[in-house]
Amino acid sequence: MLKAENLCAGYGGDDAIREISIEVSEGSCVALVGANGAGKSTLVKSLCGLLAPRSGKIFFDEKEITGLPASEIARRGLCLCPEGRRVFGPLTVEENLLLGAYPRLPSFGPFRKAASEELKHIFDLFPKLETRRSQQAGSLSGGEQQMLAIGRVLMARPRLMLLDEPSMGLAPVVVKEVFMAIRSLRNSGITILLSEQFARSALVISDKAYIIERGKVVLEGASTDLAKNPAVIEAYLG
Amino acid sequence: MNAEFLALAQMAVGGGLMGMAYALVAYGFQLTYAAGKAVNFGQGELVMLGAFTGLSLIGIGLPYWAAVPVAMVAGAALGWFVERAAVRLALQQRNEGWILLTIIVGLFGVSAAENIWGRDDKPFPVPWPEGALEFFGISVTWPELAIASGALGIMALVELAKRYTMLGIAVQAVSADPDAAELCGIRSKSAISLSWAVSGAAAAFAGTIIAPVTTVGPTMAAALTLKAFSVAVVAGLDSGFGLVLAGIALGSAENLSGFLLGSGWREAPGLILLILALALRPQGIFGKKIIRKV
Repeated sequence: MLKAENLCAGYGGDDAIREISIEVSEGSCVALVGANGAGKSTLVKSLCGLLAPRSGKIFFDEKEITGLPASEIARRGLCLCPEGRRVFGPLTVEENLLLGAYPRLPSFGPFRKAASEELKHIFDLFPKLETRRSQQAGSLSGGEQQMLAIGRVLMARPRLMLLDEPSMGLAPVVVKEVFMAIRSLRNSGITILLSEQFARSALVISDKAYIIERGKVVLEGASTDLAKNPAVIEAYLG
Repeated sequence: MNAEFLALAQMAVGGGLMGMAYALVAYGFQLTYAAGKAVNFGQGELVMLGAFTGLSLIGIGLPYWAAVPVAMVAGAALGWFVERAAVRLALQQRNEGWILLTIIVGLFGVSAAENIWGRDDKPFPVPWPEGALEFFGISVTWPELAIASGALGIMALVELAKRYTMLGIAVQAVSADPDAAELCGIRSKSAISLSWAVSGAAAAFAGTIIAPVTTVGPTMAAALTLKAFSVAVVAGLDSGFGLVLAGIALGSAENLSGFLLGSGWREAPGLILLILALALRPQGIFGKKIIRKV
């Protein structure tokens, strides 16, 4: 479903990722595991169009999407839940969610009505968001913001959901909650590509994983196998 | 004593009503600043070109009511052009060249106006009734009322659209975080272009309501840009309706200083306010202090 071939990208100077190739098949959950600064975020940003790759190709549904603007890629159903949540702080929780469905909603017409069913679905998934629906998103706690960010992506009806460091900066209890949410998304059939520092949780939740070090894929395989690999255990699970 | 007070009050009210036009021009700064963190230092030129366009349309026989919206469309096109031709290039390279570029585009506008319409100030015919209304001994003319209600009306309309249409909420999202907005499928660049177009339309509208009071000429542009910029900076570039208060205050102060100190001092309050604001409170009186969360 998503395929990247020999991707190189970076900011100024050297490439932060070098010749990375990955593949995500429909219905699967794939994890990108690596330390801080290994290049996971650069890879994710190149995949969703926030950063133009220097070389290499990206295909989504067999069609090349390399170099398309992020808004166009999002409209095709490859949607990123960005690192650091990036909710729209001055806007309300409900407005944030509605923005997720922006391409589908009428620009001037009764947009709340058009999205009411999906809103209800998100509120069933994350009941806390409903109690705060008219509150400014910036006033939510980190965990609530993460739920909001995930909810916003779900409103877009993604075909493939990219999650970049969903556990970053959250308390351990909240991290557990976030991973439970991701697991239920996965069980509902959404294809997921998860970039995560917490190797243990990432390997438990995913079918397949890529271990990334210094901008390169150093290991790849079924997550259960990787979890038993001595090198992985020493570097990431020790 | 009473007569003198009344004269001063008359000056203040007249200036304050005119000041709402400054607020409207400053509102144009606010719109583009919110969306793309840049302002058009040729905003006064757009006001002037809007007024001239309106004048020409009336000249070919259009009624005022029809000329105003057409002038606004022209203003929107010009605002859009400034962003596409000048501002976007500079911002893409992450430099401050847009400041100079917008000034240059404005200067082109002045040259164009001098060539098309001539250097002289021209009267601007209006359909408003003659005479004035009187409140508590202070008279208010119809063109002044038109400025105040027109300026408030346009600002209210745009603010309502920003809050209650999906498009408006999307523009707010772009000003909060352009990358995150892109990830929602919102075309950030189009949203910024749209803000510039609305800002241009507001400027042209300001031109068609100011001109009946001030006459229209190529020289009106520079002074208006400066005054509107003073209002925007004094109030804060993200102050919302704080602009209106700052506009009224500046308009009144101008009239009073012109009356009390001599007409040569009319422009002084705006400049003094601008200097004070930049030195003492750069975020503006009504502006929010920028707090960055790490």
